[in-house]
Amino acid sequence: MRNYEIMFIVNPNATEEEIDKINAQLEHIITSGGGTIGKIEKMGKRRLAYEVDKQREGYYVLFTILGNGDIIKECERRLRVMDAVIKYITVRTDEEVRRLEKIRSYRQKRAARRGSGKGAAAGPSAEEAMQ
Amino acid sequence: MKSAKEKRPAGQKQYYRRKKVCKFCVERIDSINYKDVKLLSQFVPERAKVMPRRISGVCSPHQRLLNDAIKKARNIALLPFTTE
Repeated sequence: MRNYEIMFIVNPNATEEEIDKINAQLEHIITSGGGTIGKIEKMGKRRLAYEVDKQREGYYVLFTILGNGDIIKECERRLRVMDAVIKYITVRTDEEVRRLEKIRSYRQKRAARRGSGKGAAAGPSAEEAMQ
Repeated sequence: MKSAKEKRPAGQKQYYRRKKVCKFCVERIDSINYKDVKLLSQFVPERAKVMPRRISGVCSPHQRLLNDAIKKARNIALLPFTTE
């Protein structure tokens, strides 16, 4: 199982109900495929950086999911055939999360070592000098 | 790096250039996310190209992450490929 983020842009002329319908469909695909949904975030209307399908604006929706490649494949297929969806992107995030955790634990270990060495007052400037 | 100024042989031009530092290292920004348009747009000048390292001073590992993030953001129309 891997973490993914699916972000897609819905036509700005679509109603709130239509967007909810799309979300419900995707939710169904993911849960029936054995994946879990972390969160569904409606990021709202935004200006697009360039024209897509003759639109200058778009309604952004972000899904954070835990699943496998088959679920992603099916989601992407569905997004492609939906007329209201003008663009989508899927990003795998588990590697990034692991990398961040590693950095965090490393920092903590360092801070702990320094803290025991010369008191708790180890400012960030001291750490900078070490690098 | 600091000692380079002292070691410079006589006769060479003596001008001082401020040492550029990597913004991500200094401010401890670990994640360079493609959704963070505000952060990424600092490294995308007017023509919408990726700002080169020699100008921004970003270190090589962070430049690589930044480059990936900018390219993802372009893909989903958060950042432009070029100006119209």
